[in-house]
Amino acid sequence: MTDTVTAPRPGQEARDGTSGNTTGDHARLPGDEGVWFFIVADMCMFAVFFLLFMVGQAEDPDAYRESRAKLVPAIGLVNTLILITSGWFMARAVNAARAGEWHIARRRIIYALLVGSCFGVLKIYEYSTKIAAGITIQTSEFFTYYFAFTGIHFLHFLIGIGVLLVCLGKLRQAENPHRLKWIESAGNYWHMVDLLWMILFPMIYLAGGWK
Amino acid sequence: MVQLTTDNSYGTWKFCAWNGMIFMAVFMIFWGGLGHNIPPYAGDLPASAIADYFRDNRNMVRLGMVISMTFAVSYAVWGISIGKVMDHILGRDHILTNLQVWGAGLTVVPILVSSSFWLTGAYRPEALPDEILQLMYDMAWLLIDLAYSVTSVQMIALGFGCLRDNRAQPFFPKWVCWYSIWVGFMFVAECLMPFFKSGAFSRQGVLNFWIEFVIFFIYAPIITWYLLKAINRIQRGEGA
Repeated sequence: MTDTVTAPRPGQEARDGTSGNTTGDHARLPGDEGVWFFIVADMCMFAVFFLLFMVGQAEDPDAYRESRAKLVPAIGLVNTLILITSGWFMARAVNAARAGEWHIARRRIIYALLVGSCFGVLKIYEYSTKIAAGITIQTSEFFTYYFAFTGIHFLHFLIGIGVLLVCLGKLRQAENPHRLKWIESAGNYWHMVDLLWMILFPMIYLAGGWK
Repeated sequence: MVQLTTDNSYGTWKFCAWNGMIFMAVFMIFWGGLGHNIPPYAGDLPASAIADYFRDNRNMVRLGMVISMTFAVSYAVWGISIGKVMDHILGRDHILTNLQVWGAGLTVVPILVSSSFWLTGAYRPEALPDEILQLMYDMAWLLIDLAYSVTSVQMIALGFGCLRDNRAQPFFPKWVCWYSIWVGFMFVAECLMPFFKSGAFSRQGVLNFWIEFVIFFIYAPIITWYLLKAINRIQRGEGA
């Protein structure tokens, strides 16, 4: 027999559309709790990356300094400022969404996207200059980690851009009860991309010095 | 409108669900233990070291790979039972369920074929030159690592599919869904493996072996636990 279900399921309302910092007496995480699991798991993986890099640097600091001298810290710094600015627009977009100002939220997400996209342009420029100079993932252990870790971070960045674009689409749907949760979750993810870069930048470009 | 499955042979569903645990136990004991694959021999070892591995352990490797090949299909059987529960979440013939089932089914192929490479190396190692044995070993590892994308399809489809479960208590908790998506996504690091013979990204490295395989080894038990609980709930009539 084929069963057909048409009625809303028990608890459906409780899982839909509710978000924000607090509900009643219980503090709640902004956005979707499952996305937080993804973020924590991802950051644990990056913590292993950071540990590997620091162990490698401690074992052969001179080789790391020599390789680091081939990077341009100004590019890393500008990229840091770009991501912080983009993250700021995203945080303000979340605030606007919480206040129900959906048009303002949409505009701020567009700003976050436009500013954030500059990170991608600059990163591609940086990779291309390194490759043109004959520096690849196999040049040294430092550059293995440089390309691998910033490359995996870049992949996260691209996914973040995609998520922000989806958010713009969600904001068009005036009747969508999940809009706020989407925007908060996207904001959480986008801030993770910022945060990881804020560790990657000093660790790769600055800490340990140059030779 | 969710159309539920007409199949109510729950005993068979549970048997298929247990195949996830069977697969993982066989994979770890026979492929990993008898096959000496946990951890793999380093990519920077000379051909003679790999040849010695096949010659000294030929019968262990043969047994390990024969059993691995026999039970590789368990992964597909497991994926079909997941698909049955996903039918109750998404309705019959949903594309995410199909992707999950196909991803699980296709995962069998690289396991079968790469195991056959190890088996071939162990079949007549005394008659083959060291470099050929090294080639067999490299081929096996390159295939099993770089075929990650078929398993990623299964994991990501499972994650996004089960996130659509609107029950007050979903069959798969959200963290399990996101874990599935995350594991499927993190497998992309395997793409770096062919470029290195030593270090964190090599086949025996911290990232491309120890972390990637550990998150895979605990994946099937976690999913199977919640899968069996879901089947029990469906059997009790809580599936709708």
